[in-house]
Amino acid sequence: MAYISFRERMIIPTYDNPEHGTSGRVVIDHEKCNGCGNCVIICPGACLYVAGVGKDKKAYMIDAPFPDCMSCNDCSAMCKRGAIKVSVTYGYDYFYKILHRGELAPPRNF
Amino acid sequence: MTDVMEVEENAKASPAAVDMYEWREGMPWNPVERVILERRSVRKYKDKQVPERLVRRILEAGRFAPTAGNSQSWKFVVVRDRDMIDAMQKYVQLRCKVFKFFLNWQKSPLGKLAWFYTQLSARVMPNLLHPIPFGAISLIAEGKLKLFHDAPTVILVLVDRRGAAKPLVDVGICGQNMVLAAHSLGLGTCWVGFVEVFKFGTRWKKKLGVGWPYELIEGIALGYPVGNPDGMIERELQEIEWWEDGRKRTVF
Repeated sequence: MAYISFRERMIIPTYDNPEHGTSGRVVIDHEKCNGCGNCVIICPGACLYVAGVGKDKKAYMIDAPFPDCMSCNDCSAMCKRGAIKVSVTYGYDYFYKILHRGELAPPRNF
Repeated sequence: MTDVMEVEENAKASPAAVDMYEWREGMPWNPVERVILERRSVRKYKDKQVPERLVRRILEAGRFAPTAGNSQSWKFVVVRDRDMIDAMQKYVQLRCKVFKFFLNWQKSPLGKLAWFYTQLSARVMPNLLHPIPFGAISLIAEGKLKLFHDAPTVILVLVDRRGAAKPLVDVGICGQNMVLAAHSLGLGTCWVGFVEVFKFGTRWKKKLGVGWPYELIEGIALGYPVGNPDGMIERELQEIEWWEDGRKRTVF
């Protein structure tokens, strides 16, 4: 009962190859975002920025094939307006393939 | 006599008042669960120093962590010196620049050779050279990510390698005790695994008292957070194999 094939196990994915994995992604609700920039300050991967002036000041995710987003959701905890949230969690293929995970869900109190 | 009675009554009354030590279906989170679920790593701190007594109190939470064979295989080093923390940050940044030079095959002048030995190193150290810390090396080298996020206090956790059974696990439990205690007292924390880099610095090792049998494992940045970064978030569910009544189910 192998969870990863031997071939997969032998390949070390590289962080710059889009075929080897996906970076985390966040969705930003620009109707709720007021451009305060708190998410930018705390993002450990430095993959958010604020652009625009006045009312159009909003947070954006940097446009790179591999932003260092590790889908930690710290931005979503920081944003008290609920404007930002992780939509895709990071994952690498081959040796670092993520196993036995389900969908995103908040804490459940059963 | 009456005082003692009163204290005992209060002790009995308090668990019920905060809904602790009992479970009802679908009940709201109790304070301990709330601290566990709302704890987020904090990466922006105020300049305000944490009172010494508060740090001492947090260290107490670590001291009472469970360990294999009660071996308590750890040592704490508390750094509250702003200049020293800055020097540590500078040292790690410099080291990360060196690592980046050798490990980043896109920009390394060594080209394809760099790619080859990076792949080889990743096989030898699959955890340290996981793509996420790999990215963090670049961020630290560029100065986009600070080692201790400018926290005013840092607790370095050293492991005694002679500890019973699994000393590394014990150190982890101890650290988490301190982190949860700190959050329940209104502080922010962040685990910093990059202190690993200090094993390359002979002078730092001497200064921090990292010599056999001790090994520097983790740093915990401690301080008052800017804003309110704590809160509950969404996370992936974990697939759980559940054996009951002779059958296996998969639950999430």
